[in-house]
Amino acid sequence: MGEPGSTFLSSTTVLVILAAFYGATLYMALKIRRKKENADAYMTAGNNVGFGIAAASMTSTWIWASSLYASATSGYTYGISGPIHYGLWGALMILFIYPFGRRIRSIAPNAHTLAEIMRARHGSSSQLLLASSNVIGSIISLTTNFVAGGAIISLFSPFTFAQGVLFVAGGVLIYTLWSGFRASSLTDFMQLVAMFALIGVIIPIIFFAADFPSSFQTGAENLSAEQSNFFSSEAFLSQGAPYIAAVLAYAIGNQTIAQRLFAVREDLIKRTFVTATIGYGAMVIGIGMLGVLALYLGLTPYEGDANNIVPQMAAEHLPTVALGLFLVVIVGALSSTADSDLSALSSIMMADIYGQNVARRGTVDPKRMLLVGRVTMVLATTAGVLIASFRLDILDMLVFVGALWGALVFPVISSFYWGRVTNRAFVTAVLAALAVFLPVRFEWLPVDGALGALLGVAVDVLGVLGIGVIIGLMAFGFFGLRVGCVAAVLAVVGASPWALGTLHDYTVLSGSLVAYSVSTLVCVLMSMRSGQEFDFSTIHARVGNFDSAETTDDAGRASGGPDAPVDSTDAARPDDAGSRPAETAPTGPKE
Amino acid sequence: MDLLLSVYVLMWPALVLGVLVVIAGGFARDARRARDEGRPMI
Repeated sequence: MGEPGSTFLSSTTVLVILAAFYGATLYMALKIRRKKENADAYMTAGNNVGFGIAAASMTSTWIWASSLYASATSGYTYGISGPIHYGLWGALMILFIYPFGRRIRSIAPNAHTLAEIMRARHGSSSQLLLASSNVIGSIISLTTNFVAGGAIISLFSPFTFAQGVLFVAGGVLIYTLWSGFRASSLTDFMQLVAMFALIGVIIPIIFFAADFPSSFQTGAENLSAEQSNFFSSEAFLSQGAPYIAAVLAYAIGNQTIAQRLFAVREDLIKRTFVTATIGYGAMVIGIGMLGVLALYLGLTPYEGDANNIVPQMAAEHLPTVALGLFLVVIVGALSSTADSDLSALSSIMMADIYGQNVARRGTVDPKRMLLVGRVTMVLATTAGVLIASFRLDILDMLVFVGALWGALVFPVISSFYWGRVTNRAFVTAVLAALAVFLPVRFEWLPVDGALGALLGVAVDVLGVLGIGVIIGLMAFGFFGLRVGCVAAVLAVVGASPWALGTLHDYTVLSGSLVAYSVSTLVCVLMSMRSGQEFDFSTIHARVGNFDSAETTDDAGRASGGPDAPVDSTDAARPDDAGSRPAETAPTGPKE
Repeated sequence: MDLLLSVYVLMWPALVLGVLVVIAGGFARDARRARDEGRPMI
């Protein structure tokens, strides 16, 4: 059909597609609109979302436009195992985070953000550290999705990149603004149905239109030995391993995942996460297969940009009608993540900033809180559009933030299990990890002479320990402390022979790994000396609902259900949670 | 080998459709339950 850039779809067609997509989404959002919105429902939908919406929302939020492009790029670059090393590890991270999710829900069933629990557990410095990293990550993610939207629209139509960004930003904001998380998660379902139904059909169409399976024979010479090898070590080391390290951090550092964790009905957490794992993996690996097919076909990416592989495959092998549907897939993927980012940002500003750090104790006004949430969405959208207009390499920034979040993983997880972790240990561990991460990641360390060799060894040792931390945490989540420790030791022993001496050459990977290891070492050493034994049962009483108002739908019916908001006059009000554990917990810290 | 590769490529969209059926079924059950109880779905 030609190549991207030659505007396959007319302006009218694209406008009709966008209007139909965002119109249907807005219609769904308006159907659940309430005359008097509830602040807690705006953030977590009353902690009582059923399986269908929760699984759809978790899946479609985790899938974003960049993951579709990146998986195809991985397939094109690393061959037949490439999509696995992108999609499988990302999918497994959803699975690995679920046992921690169950623990978090059990000790704080009515929470809105992870940072909110950190305040109840440690104090405001830990809360703000986590909340600020969440905000940075969400704004970058939001921007990335706007950029992807602008790029795909400008690629397929006469519209410019800036116009595409504005269409997407406006479309997402307009349906998310009024009902927040409720709108985001309900519309996620519709977006997921569109994405999955179309991808289930589009990939086989492309497969047969490109003359596969015959092209496996004729195009085999286009693959190197490594690309033809399903067990390619190059694919694992260059794609899979850094991704394993980054995505576990992403699951902890990204508020969109936490928000869904707090929203789903507690007994449905496992089912939701397992379904999302399979759904995400199948979708992303499936799209990645387009990269593998492109490799067999000997396709050259337009303008040398690997991000054009998926649009090119679609443009060359799909009829125009299907090309329009393909646009819906991409817009659905980026919109479901962008609306989740807006909801995440608004809940952080509502609960962590306004609810617990701006409003005085006992004076949290749910109406003002809602206003804060909505203003946050407008400002975040504006910021996202402005940053997108600079056309920075956003993906690089996101990878950077993902690695940065490695510093938070152990302190956050251990804070939910180990009573000895203190606020000081949490903050010091994170800051120390960042101090080591930055020079390793940006190669500021000297590499020549004896000092360079010594620092290289130090980075390798810390990196190997970081591998142990990641594997140990994963095993710990499912099988407990003993198995976690054994797995960590085995991982360190197994990784040492190949990692020592070479790991420091992979700065993205080693930067992330040292963030894990340094934060773990500092947190463990300081906590062991603390003598504190935190009573986790006190968190339940400190993290609760903000809004006591009954809500009504458009028909005037009362809503709330079995998990209706508690009375804000309750002593467990979160705006009273500002006090540190030592001041209120019966068995609090003994420092 | 071609058959294996074809299965390898086409199993993912099939899995996608399978998950879609599971999630849509869950959504339909949630909607029915909400309607029976006279409350909003979310």
